[in-house]
Amino acid sequence: MDWLSIINAGINGTVLGLLLALPALAVTLVFGIARFPNVATGDYMTLGAYVAVAAQTFGGLSLAASGLFASLTVGVVSLFFYFWVFRALAKRPLVSRLIASIGVAFAVRSTITFFAGHHQYNIEAPLVRAWNFNGIRILPTDAYIAVTAIVALTLVFMLMRFTPMGRRMRAVADNPELASASGINARRVMVLLWAIVGIFCGLGGFLLGVKAVVIPELGFELLLTIFAAVILGGIGTPIGAVVGILVFGISQEIGSLYVGPAYKIVMAFLVLLCVLLLRPQGIFGRIQAAR
Amino acid sequence: MSQTINTGRRQFTLASAAAGVASVLPFWARAQAGTPKGEPIKIGVLTSMTGTGGVYGPGMLQAMRLAVDEVNAAGGASGRALQLFNEDDQTRPDAAVLAARKLVDISKVDVIAGVWSSSVALAILPITNGAGIMMLNTSGSPDLKTEDKLDLVWQYQAANDVFGKAFAQIARQRGFKNPAVMAFNNSTFVGQANYFRKAWEEGGGKVAAYVIYEPNQTTYRTELGRVLASKPDVIALSSYTPDATIILKEWYQNGQPCKFIMPGWSANENLIKALGTEATEGIIAVSNVAATDHPTFKHFDTAFRKLTGREPDVFAAECYDMIISYALAVEAAGPNADLKTINTKMRTVTNAPGTKVTGFSQGRDLLRKGEKIDYDGASSTLEFGAAGDAVPDFGVFEILGGKLVAKEVISGTI
Repeated sequence: MDWLSIINAGINGTVLGLLLALPALAVTLVFGIARFPNVATGDYMTLGAYVAVAAQTFGGLSLAASGLFASLTVGVVSLFFYFWVFRALAKRPLVSRLIASIGVAFAVRSTITFFAGHHQYNIEAPLVRAWNFNGIRILPTDAYIAVTAIVALTLVFMLMRFTPMGRRMRAVADNPELASASGINARRVMVLLWAIVGIFCGLGGFLLGVKAVVIPELGFELLLTIFAAVILGGIGTPIGAVVGILVFGISQEIGSLYVGPAYKIVMAFLVLLCVLLLRPQGIFGRIQAAR
Repeated sequence: MSQTINTGRRQFTLASAAAGVASVLPFWARAQAGTPKGEPIKIGVLTSMTGTGGVYGPGMLQAMRLAVDEVNAAGGASGRALQLFNEDDQTRPDAAVLAARKLVDISKVDVIAGVWSSSVALAILPITNGAGIMMLNTSGSPDLKTEDKLDLVWQYQAANDVFGKAFAQIARQRGFKNPAVMAFNNSTFVGQANYFRKAWEEGGGKVAAYVIYEPNQTTYRTELGRVLASKPDVIALSSYTPDATIILKEWYQNGQPCKFIMPGWSANENLIKALGTEATEGIIAVSNVAATDHPTFKHFDTAFRKLTGREPDVFAAECYDMIISYALAVEAAGPNADLKTINTKMRTVTNAPGTKVTGFSQGRDLLRKGEKIDYDGASSTLEFGAAGDAVPDFGVFEILGGKLVAKEVISGTI
């Protein structure tokens, strides 16, 4: 296999990984703070893509504006489901929140298909030729997607690391009882969490819609990949989620060069298996004592 | 995992079923009044009113109503009126199985017609075979030919092995030298890709690259890169519209010149809308086309336009032929024939040799005189092969300036 194909596959995997890092981060944050695997993540992404299509079709918004609008709308929807569903189940066992999130996923997707039907839509974006550096091809769309994802990820990491609100989030994630005993308002942390989750899923769905096509199964189909990547990186660690999905994306694309496209997903899970054999807690995960 | 209950769709199904029953009632009532005697023949119609096939389903149902109307007005088949029972399969095998069970167990139909999707046809095959009834479909999976052990399946649309051969022939006719193949991983498209490769290699020459890709991916750049690295001058792309959209988007951005041959049910208006005129320019789309020069088609076309105000597509023409050919087989089998005898008469009334007929009453009169007939349909000449498959002609289209432009027609007998 020549090195050009490997580099091109690597670039492709990186772009895919950066894009999916947005929902992966949302999954890991919910798992770390609200403590359940949020199955609705995929369908929040789908919603983002459809909102962007609607904003372009009915509102005549530009590409960037429709992306912003989609992110914010999904943020609001995410808050709505927090207040309506997940807040009431906060003290219940993990399974009840997990099942509820499956319900939310179905509700979101069925609402979309009720209004938009099952056929495909497209987010209008200009089709431009790739930049060609001696055979290394970079698609401009991919470059914009990667930059947008990096900016969004950086913002959230700065928020988590350098602001008082971020410190509170980490405190709640670490130990909710201790956090509330030391006067941290857990409600406010939750509102911020679900807003970030919605915005990130909306943005991820929008970028995905620009790259691929907008269909009702858009986000849901990626859920397995995202969950696997989160486990790979170490559940509940934000940086782990990003690294995990990048490893996953790159190994999937480069692997497909060697074993054929039919086995690319198998390759990605093989990498997952190998990493977990060496580090069962994930790349960045900490071993926690069970309470 | 889309097991959701969609009220809108349910209501729509109910409404269309009700409409179906209502439209049949007058003929049935007429049957009671006197003209056709004997017990009515129950035809189960399992069309896709919603889902991917929803674009074609309503027209297919209308065409069957039209044909039923004609047969009943002529006094029925073997003096028995035809009665339609309509169900929506939602273009989904799970929904189709429930609907087929209802048609077979509750409505006790004598035949199931109008099946569009291959996955639906394969899913309900055990039900129709179990009940010993015929299934008339417009599906294209080559597996239907081998799975049809009882010879009860009748295919009015070309199977994808023939499509693959047609792709190869078109590629050769247009002077392409180095074709590559890319196909979605399911039985229909892999069948199409395999037969393309086989036909191309039999005609001399090699396939530059052969890539089967996994469904539901966000990007196909690496797969496409593999194909493009072999520098093909044409790619036979066996895809559905969504994945074709992603692949063509990435191909166009990549910038390497190449042509595409695609099945017509994927290279459609939706694809052009999604990609724009520049990226779709010159794509070759291949579809089955109705037999527009047959008198049967001209008659059907006029009647269909009068009924619906729309132009009939090839699937509607195939459905019209289903009812007429079935009615002729019933006529040939006689008034008290069982389902098995009717089934054996399908080839008798449609295949050569015989006096060519173009409509039900003409065929019936000749049958009563004891003559051998050969029904030439609105969709094709209806020459059923050993596996019960008829092959309509192929229309070759090119996308030029954002429009599908009809080019040559290739005979179905390739």
